Amino acid sequence: MSSKEVTPTRSVLLDLKKKIKLSQSGYKIMKMKRDGLIIEFFEVMEKARKMRAGVSSDYEAAMEKITIARVVEGEIAVKSAAYALKSEPQVKLGSKSIMGMMVPKVEATSIHTHLVDKGYGVISTSAYIEEAAVAFEKLLDTLVRAAEIETTMKKLLDEIEKTKRRVNALEFKIIPELKESERFVKFRLEEMERENTTRLKHLKRKGEAAE
Amino acid sequence: MFGRKGKSSNYAYTAARVKAKKAHLLAEDDYSKMLMMTPQEISRYISEAGYTKEMTDLANRESGLNLLEHATYANMANVFGSILLASTGGLYDMVSAYLTKWDNWNLKVVLRGKSYGLDADGIREDLVPAGILGAESLEKLVSLEADDDILAAFGRMTHITFPQDVLAAYKARSNLAEIEDYLDKRYYAHLLEVIRPTDRPSLIFRDYVAKEVDIRNFETILKLKLDGVRGEPVMKYIIPGGKQIDAKLALQLASAETVEEALSEIAQIGFYEDIKDSLDPKAATIREAVMGMRKYEMRQAKKFSHLYPLSVIPVLDYMIHKENEVNNIRAVARGAESGLDRDVVKGLLVI
Repeated sequence: MSSKEVTPTRSVLLDLKKKIKLSQSGYKIMKMKRDGLIIEFFEVMEKARKMRAGVSSDYEAAMEKITIARVVEGEIAVKSAAYALKSEPQVKLGSKSIMGMMVPKVEATSIHTHLVDKGYGVISTSAYIEEAAVAFEKLLDTLVRAAEIETTMKKLLDEIEKTKRRVNALEFKIIPELKESERFVKFRLEEMERENTTRLKHLKRKGEAAE
Repeated sequence: MFGRKGKSSNYAYTAARVKAKKAHLLAEDDYSKMLMMTPQEISRYISEAGYTKEMTDLANRESGLNLLEHATYANMANVFGSILLASTGGLYDMVSAYLTKWDNWNLKVVLRGKSYGLDADGIREDLVPAGILGAESLEKLVSLEADDDILAAFGRMTHITFPQDVLAAYKARSNLAEIEDYLDKRYYAHLLEVIRPTDRPSLIFRDYVAKEVDIRNFETILKLKLDGVRGEPVMKYIIPGGKQIDAKLALQLASAETVEEALSEIAQIGFYEDIKDSLDPKAATIREAVMGMRKYEMRQAKKFSHLYPLSVIPVLDYMIHKENEVNNIRAVARGAESGLDRDVVKGLLVI
């Protein structure tokens, strides 16, 4: 809002004062939110860093185990055991709020199945295949948790960027413009008051001369 | 049970045949050479070492290491089939009872494939017709759709009657493990029943099978222990007929809180020395222990291989070594393909 577009009236001045007060308090809150989000982001980033390392190590362990299982038991046996699996992992999606921002909450259920419930025989299925299956279950669990943290981190980054833009807009554009308008209105009102006083004095003088 | 009754066992003829075949098995040196080769070189080497026919036959269907795996299995199936065909009388009964594990394997492949929704070609690909059921019988199983029909047909072909409680448990939980575990337990029970300990070679054979039962049982106990299952529930999966691990000891081992505790219980058992170092109480793996037991099993087979040349022993010995050769070839080739360290692959070979 350019100061030239403002009508210099007392009610506009009051309105501007209200807006400035609101913007300043909004600016303060937004700045606090931005700082809070940054702190939260660093915490989540640390978790994500650990989680990425966990995903890498779990992936390596799972691949090593499946490779050994394929070496010892053969592709056919590994494939056949995989066909026997009955349960499928379920992923439950929810959401939680971090400083008013909704982030996903991913929960995986029935990822780990006990050996006796897997669907293949307990006696004949080799320990190599079972260990590979357990390693992949662990990897899946880590991946689901990593997905939650990575998405939270991405959303936090977007939110920080958005909040930063708002804070900057308030600090460098909206509040200065409002203050400029307030100054302009104040100045115009004072000017008008001075003109009025002069006009009154002039009228008074004219009246006295006529008498 | 499997026919050819009334005929006397032709040990001399069958043993002579397997002796000739045994001379063609790969030696330790061959594995050392193969460990230095690329997967392509291994395939070529194997083609020249008696697997030519199967490699050529399957070349239009498979490629790479899958071709090698399927060809070695097909070769083993052909060889076992020829031994079965050559043997008569009591020898046939013992050999066929020993080979029914492959019929069980094939039934498991069919049931698992069907439950997954695999088409007939996909299932057929993974069959290993090394048991007593021929290609026609297996084709019949693959062509059936419902599990009940498959089980009924398999029962008719192999004279197995699945107990009602096993079938009910399978239907209640839709868990193939019920059927598979029953088949495995029945396999050993039947095998031990067929091997009549009337002479020294049969006693040795029976002894070998009983030791194998011990190994299977201990592996099961360890697998379940890793999964947190202990005590009485483990006994459902214990195969009766072990040599040293009877039901009482099995329960003791199953009830042990830690692997260390279980180890102290088996100090007197044959394979203790082979696995005691590999069973780290803190480790979350039993792979080394399982490999130790497999190597022990092979050593047991080697111990009696030269005894009683005109008996079931040379036949059994050859079948064990042939299956082991197929496993070793696959291990070397897959190990080379996956880039595993040579020493690691060597450690996975049962020589």
